Amino acid sequence: MKFRAVMVDTGPMREFTNIVSTISKLSKECVLRLSTEKLYFIVSEDNSGPSPPMLWCEIPQDTFFSEYQIVGVDDEYRDIYLGLVSANLSKSLATLKTAKCLKMKLTKKQCPCLTLEIETPSSTSQQTRQVTHDIPVIVIPRKLWSEFHEPRIPQPDMSIELPALKQLRTTIDRMKGMCPEVVIRASAEGRLTLQIKTDMAKVSTRFKDLRVMAFEGPIDHSDSETETQTIEDISKTCYCRVDTKKFSMFLSADQISHNATVCSIVNKKLVILCLQTEENVKLQCFITGIVY
Amino acid sequence: MDSGKTLCSLLKAIQFQESAVFCAMQEGLKLTVEEGKCVQASAYIPADNFNEYHVRDDVDVLFKISIAVLTECLNIFGSAEESSLKMYYRCEGSPLLLVLQAQSFSNVMTDCEIATQTADTLLELRDEDAEEESKLVLKAPAFLGLLADLERSCDIIEINLSPEHPNLSIVTYGMQDRSCIEIPKSSDMVQSFTCERAVTLKYQLYHIRLIMKALAVSNKVVLRCSSNGLLLLQLKLEKEDQRQMFSEFYIVPLLDD
Repeated sequence: MKFRAVMVDTGPMREFTNIVSTISKLSKECVLRLSTEKLYFIVSEDNSGPSPPMLWCEIPQDTFFSEYQIVGVDDEYRDIYLGLVSANLSKSLATLKTAKCLKMKLTKKQCPCLTLEIETPSSTSQQTRQVTHDIPVIVIPRKLWSEFHEPRIPQPDMSIELPALKQLRTTIDRMKGMCPEVVIRASAEGRLTLQIKTDMAKVSTRFKDLRVMAFEGPIDHSDSETETQTIEDISKTCYCRVDTKKFSMFLSADQISHNATVCSIVNKKLVILCLQTEENVKLQCFITGIVY
Repeated sequence: MDSGKTLCSLLKAIQFQESAVFCAMQEGLKLTVEEGKCVQASAYIPADNFNEYHVRDDVDVLFKISIAVLTECLNIFGSAEESSLKMYYRCEGSPLLLVLQAQSFSNVMTDCEIATQTADTLLELRDEDAEEESKLVLKAPAFLGLLADLERSCDIIEINLSPEHPNLSIVTYGMQDRSCIEIPKSSDMVQSFTCERAVTLKYQLYHIRLIMKALAVSNKVVLRCSSNGLLLLQLKLEKEDQRQMFSEFYIVPLLDD
């Protein structure tokens, strides 16, 4: 098994740092899957069982790395799966924003390590400094790979563009203080509603004029409790009740410069939040619905 | 109301208890919070702060509401964002409705329904028979700085007022020390000073510290002592549009032992 990669451009370096720091905020541990085409960061929940992972992030190697070599176990299994503590990686990358060059490789020291060699320019002289970080990793054996397969998800009922993440996050953070669960409701007319209900208060924030990317309606609400409060055609809306904290965590991804964020909803079951950047990085977050 | 921001910061300043008594009068809104029968804090929002303000005059609009939830709702778009606010209340038992609209994004709106409860009776701390003995007008930021300098570990604060120099002194007693701050009436922070005869009053420092948040958002503070030792602090908050909001704290003195 061999892996070696070099990054020299400042743009991708900054972005890579932001991605890793976002992931470290979402989870203590993550799995880094290296393949010939892409790098994947995968975060699974501890007791997730068959449900999709919490986070799935794809980074195309060619836009980020100037050199990229990988040799897997054998011809059939070409990928490498590494388990690591995400904070270790994000802390090591903290200096990357000003660095000239980053080399990443897989090494065998006392234990398997992901070694980062960061070259930073000196402010006083022409010489550069080199910092080496060895991050202990666990090489995940082949028989466990199936746990980290690309998530197979049901066809979402609706996909809708999200408003500016920062704005959404302040709102969600206020709601987080009041209620642990939030109902996300999207309508085919481009409305997104966040609603919380507690003994003390009922708060709903509505965003309108959002782009609807896909709608697989009409939606069958026959089994749900009939809420006659809505004037709009409920066959054109779908909703899902989710954990407010998890939703808020994804929104901290606003520090990654992104093109679009899309929220897809499988009625009452699943919310998929997907963030896409200019460099074709795709960060997906899966939040399973809370059903009573 | 065009901006809920000032209202929110004023309410946060008196948010040391979970719930407040909300009272709407012809002159404006008043929210009152009490701390253990010793401190009563109120926020006043005069009616001219609202673009439109209607209260029925044949019934008392009086109810108890969670001030924490109210401030969270007012702040739903974050503290950096100005938002316009509409408030509705129908009758006893119905929720308080808020409609907030962010100013820099036109496509977002928030509706809040906050549950209300029957109001508890409030303490009547003001005693009509007790005369006002002294009155001080101080600059709020300077007074805040002074209170922040006081040793936190002390329990008791002693305020001495006298017509003689030094006119105002604040003494705190710690484990091993006694510290004293003297403020003559010629000080920059004192805008006016009236005192008939010398008095010494003792208060729980913790109670005095409750006003610090309100001081931080205010411009001016009026300190009044009445002959029964009750301390009344009236704080004025002036907004950019020259309109004013007020907060008021009644603090009960400690009895000599």
